[in-house]
Amino acid sequence: MKRSHQETSVEEEAPSIEGSGCGGGDDNMDELLAVLGYKVRSSDMADVAQKLEQLEMVLSNDIGSSNNALNDTVHYNPSDLSGWAHSMLSELNYYPDLDPTRICDLRPIQDDDECCSSSNSNKRIRLGAWCDSVSSDSTRSVVLIEETGVRLVQALVACAEAVQHENLSLADALVKRVGTLAASQAGAMGKVATYFAEALARRIYRIHPSSAAIDPSFEEILQMNFYDSCPYLKFAHFTANQAILEAVTTSRGVHVIDLGLNQGMQWPALMQALALRPGGPPSFRLTGVGTLSNRDGIQELGWKLAQLAHAIGVEFEFSGLTTERLSDLEPDMFETRPDSETLVVNSVFELHPVLSQPGSIEKLLATVKAVKPSIVTVVEQEANHNGAVFLDRFNEALHYYSSLFDSLEDGVVIPSQDRVMSEIYLGRQILNVVAAEGIDRIERHETLSQWRKRMGSAGFDPVNLGSDAFKQASLLLALSGGGDGYRVEENDGSLMLAWQTKPLIAASAWKLAAELRR
Amino acid sequence: MVEKSNNKRQRVNQVPKFSINDHHDVLVEILRRLDGPSLCSAACVCRLWSAVARNDSIWEELCFRQVSPRPSLSLRSVVSALGGYRCLYFLCIRPVLARLPKLRWTRDQLQFSLSLYCVHYYERLYVGAWLGDAPPSSLMFLRKPVNVV
Repeated sequence: MKRSHQETSVEEEAPSIEGSGCGGGDDNMDELLAVLGYKVRSSDMADVAQKLEQLEMVLSNDIGSSNNALNDTVHYNPSDLSGWAHSMLSELNYYPDLDPTRICDLRPIQDDDECCSSSNSNKRIRLGAWCDSVSSDSTRSVVLIEETGVRLVQALVACAEAVQHENLSLADALVKRVGTLAASQAGAMGKVATYFAEALARRIYRIHPSSAAIDPSFEEILQMNFYDSCPYLKFAHFTANQAILEAVTTSRGVHVIDLGLNQGMQWPALMQALALRPGGPPSFRLTGVGTLSNRDGIQELGWKLAQLAHAIGVEFEFSGLTTERLSDLEPDMFETRPDSETLVVNSVFELHPVLSQPGSIEKLLATVKAVKPSIVTVVEQEANHNGAVFLDRFNEALHYYSSLFDSLEDGVVIPSQDRVMSEIYLGRQILNVVAAEGIDRIERHETLSQWRKRMGSAGFDPVNLGSDAFKQASLLLALSGGGDGYRVEENDGSLMLAWQTKPLIAASAWKLAAELRR
Repeated sequence: MVEKSNNKRQRVNQVPKFSINDHHDVLVEILRRLDGPSLCSAACVCRLWSAVARNDSIWEELCFRQVSPRPSLSLRSVVSALGGYRCLYFLCIRPVLARLPKLRWTRDQLQFSLSLYCVHYYERLYVGAWLGDAPPSSLMFLRKPVNVV
């Protein structure tokens, strides 16, 4: 009881037993523990302490295999420390001389009247107050322990530190502990922690996720779902479109080069706005850049966009380019017509992967400069996930993705398929940021200030996004739910989408620096 | 006396009965002045009224009620190509107004709704035949119940 204990989630209460066993208080409950929410009879203190020590031993030796056992059963309300420890131990088969009558003998907790309604052989007990978020048919439960969230973050950071210092055996032990804690944490924090734990495990065991491992049609479904269910991509597209519209107000022809075509969801809205331009629509040419594996898809996409353009009366031309790397693009591939067309270059989340190869971003920006665009629209994640030190990247990413996952939580108890798919989409980014290295690590997000420096040194000047873009973005976010958590912020002419004051996405526009425009 | 009342009866019999259902154009003019919920109720009165209420000009009037300047002809052709004003109202405008009841309905908001409508049209084109039970919809964010904090 007086030994110093290793950190486990329950045991911090144990040291307070020393010298506090005064007999007063209601029903013989220990006063100090009662303040923390634990109901332990003073006479049981030694017994509880002993059980907790045994539990700690069992858990630290056995954590891999006991994970499943703990997840599948339902436990007593941990306020009743004695009963809880007892049931945990018996689940882990540590207590061979289990006395079945003891289960029903334990004092019921006032606010949980289902505690003792079990039979001796059946240890599946429903916890009323703790289970209101789970359907009554479910036999899983959430063992809610106070402050697990804080402990979870501490464990994650400790594990990352161990990885940073190449202390892989410690990291291994910690990552398993994170896994257990994460599984019992409800809500966004638990999900984020699970992804980070998996990423750390991959890093420790050197299983590098290959970025090409996913089926392209599944990738497409994930992206469309991410577009549909949360406002991030919509914000990116609508803001970039507004900047483009303002730059081409007097043009007779518009040529857009999209560095990441994906499903082309950005362009219908732009075409519609161009169709309704006072004075009639300009001709619209789209050159979309896609990946090599998707040649037929790009062709199809062009047809669909052409159909839309025909329906709304916009003269449309489409060409698709496929390339493995954006830096391989050359200016003459785009067949620009500078006399009749205003050129626009658009990049939504496409610049940061280029940073994985040294020298590539400079080459790409030089190519962009060489085609002489009137405006370049750039939307990127607002985070620094490209630092040289792993631990710094890890901490930034943890903060960033916690916010993102939090914004996806819509208060609905049973997660919809859409939300799950959005989480998978983001989870893959987490895996890449934490577990990948070198060329494979493509999620090299950088902040707006870092991009400003890059664009500035490449020969671009910033363009202010204007109040129309701000108003449209505000309207979009107001419609997107999230209970007012989304905000648009203006940052020196660029717009940022923030969740609960943490900026997550930054949209900016650029033009060629003055001396180059002539 | 009897003769007078006979004349009166004859006069009454000679006045033709007026039924609004015989005059669709008048009915359209009346429906054009209704607000959204009333128009939806009117469309449920009978089959004839339901068919008349599908007249897109009624819904066009509803969409542009507080917006000035009035829409151009090009707008009408764009909207009808994308599916018409009635669908625009149900898919985009009504959910927006429901989500933000205090919103001042101006040209900007209308433009925004049109953009959403266009994205929706394209998404249906792009996805084509969908084998699952719930095709993706870019407008789902307008329909999902929202936590009002």
